[in-house]
Amino acid sequence: MDNLIVENIKQRPLRTAISVVGVALGVILIVLMVGLARGMVRDSAERQGNVDAEIRFLPTEISSAAAANPLMMPARFAEVIMNGVQPTAEDPDLQAKPPIAGVSATTPVGEFIQNSESGIGFEYVDGIDFPSFSKTTRITMVAGRPLTDGKAPDSAYEVIVDRYYFDNNKDVNRQPLQLGSKIKTLGHEFSVVGVYEPSMLARIKMPLHTMQQLLGGAENCTFIMIRTTQPALAKSVKEALESNYPGYHAYLTSEIPALFSQGIRPLEIFLDVVIWLAVVISTLVILLAMYTTIIERTREIGILKSLGASKTFVVMTIEKEAALISALGVLFGFVVSVVGKYALEASTRLKIDIEPRWVLIATVVGIGCGLLGALYPALRAANLDVVEAISYE
Amino acid sequence: MKPVLETRDLQMIYHVGKVDVPALRGVNISVGAGEYVAIMGPSGCGKSTLLHVIGGMLQPTTGRVEIDGEDLTTMTDAQRTDLRRRKIGFVFQRFNLFPTLSAEGNLKLAERIYSNSKNGGDAARRHEVLKLLKLENKMKHKPLELSGGEQQRVAIARAIVNRPAILLADEPTGNLDSENSTIVLEMLRGLNKEFGQTIVMITHNPEAAALADRIIEMRDGLVVS
Repeated sequence: MDNLIVENIKQRPLRTAISVVGVALGVILIVLMVGLARGMVRDSAERQGNVDAEIRFLPTEISSAAAANPLMMPARFAEVIMNGVQPTAEDPDLQAKPPIAGVSATTPVGEFIQNSESGIGFEYVDGIDFPSFSKTTRITMVAGRPLTDGKAPDSAYEVIVDRYYFDNNKDVNRQPLQLGSKIKTLGHEFSVVGVYEPSMLARIKMPLHTMQQLLGGAENCTFIMIRTTQPALAKSVKEALESNYPGYHAYLTSEIPALFSQGIRPLEIFLDVVIWLAVVISTLVILLAMYTTIIERTREIGILKSLGASKTFVVMTIEKEAALISALGVLFGFVVSVVGKYALEASTRLKIDIEPRWVLIATVVGIGCGLLGALYPALRAANLDVVEAISYE
Repeated sequence: MKPVLETRDLQMIYHVGKVDVPALRGVNISVGAGEYVAIMGPSGCGKSTLLHVIGGMLQPTTGRVEIDGEDLTTMTDAQRTDLRRRKIGFVFQRFNLFPTLSAEGNLKLAERIYSNSKNGGDAARRHEVLKLLKLENKMKHKPLELSGGEQQRVAIARAIVNRPAILLADEPTGNLDSENSTIVLEMLRGLNKEFGQTIVMITHNPEAAALADRIIEMRDGLVVS
């Protein structure tokens, strides 16, 4: 193609490639990081939403110790909430608690966050009491068998997993999962004994007793899921729980999406930082590339001006070159992002959402920063003295 | 004959540090339409400065320069650039072609600048010019695939493709061997004779100057004959 801009780009393939990669890096940062954050939040929110129980009950204050051991709430509260408790001869100091009216089922859940086995990201593991969990939620076994209480030595290291996990993960021998396969979690190997649907809370569930043993939080859990006799009673049950259990808070499951949104705020700040980082990288790469170009092509700019090219013509020539490089960078960035998405999703349990809105933002950032970065070199070129430029060696 | 180029008491003083270096000390020349004028003189006599001032690439210290009736000295830099685009063609000693573009690409670029990117140029005119300069078979060649003489002919073609009022040539044969110099000079002569192209050429070469209608001699920033 006999076009000055295209020929200029072709003349310096290495510099063009570096510039393209620089812009692509910004695009990848935005698309993948935002996609990863959004995907993980969406996935978590969906799995939280799949729980039918109307209330989640947990301590108001989550101490820093909870990061090491999240089992800080007495699991027996699940029983007490249902049936109440009175002082006994063995324990005369026991504080009396009435049963909470309107509760049909409760289940204690231990929830632990660990580094993903792939080394990228993190994952939740639940400890559950299967009989009460199945009464409180709509969990259904679709393959294998349910969990036992985990108290027998031969059943302690068993897990059930959701369908997504079962279909997309490998066992400790890097073989596709089957019933009976071993997976590693909490530093131990567990047998997969069943597959459940729908996905809810953590994908991996082990007996609560086993989690308590492994984490040293005997008889404790992280929160209690509560199902009411009628959904309309959820609010009154919540109020009764909070008045009878000071220091504990009851969240309606319907509030969870809003709570996730609040939790996203720091994430939004992080994403803003990512975007600005992409802006800086893309702008600097193009600025340096085009600045070098201008110095190298001083004489050619002088020729353009001697032919009567206006400042606008010179600026537009350089800006068009930057726009073309940026467009190639954006395209390359999207290709790498899409490949990266599928590669990461295939090799990890990460979820990446590539949303049109963020694709548009990445495009605007990539091309906009390219144009911005080229502006100073372009203006400098436009203002070169024509006689000096044409004599430039 | 209506003058295409006229200078009046043209002075150009360069400021080098605290020292003023006069390059032109009051140059008065007039070049009529269709004239072919050679400017000769020793190195440092102000020939190139004069060409740059006439071409609107330098603003003179004092004096007037009129190109086709337009006074360059009262214009802003942008206006001088615009006049250069519309009325002046340049040929340089070092050809100054765009190395990444073909011969035709170099001409197209000049056309794009001339039309402010508004059209793709006049293909018929382009071919006419390339044919005139015996380059019709070299249209797709890039400068490095052409001989020096051919490159200079492409530069001439680029300079005249937009029908400038005046063609300014700065030592057009300075980088050529004698054979190619002769070809280029004959072509300049032909452009002048057949198409009435006004040409002002700077040269050190008396044989090149001899082909012009008139020779202007300069010395120490002044026209001496």
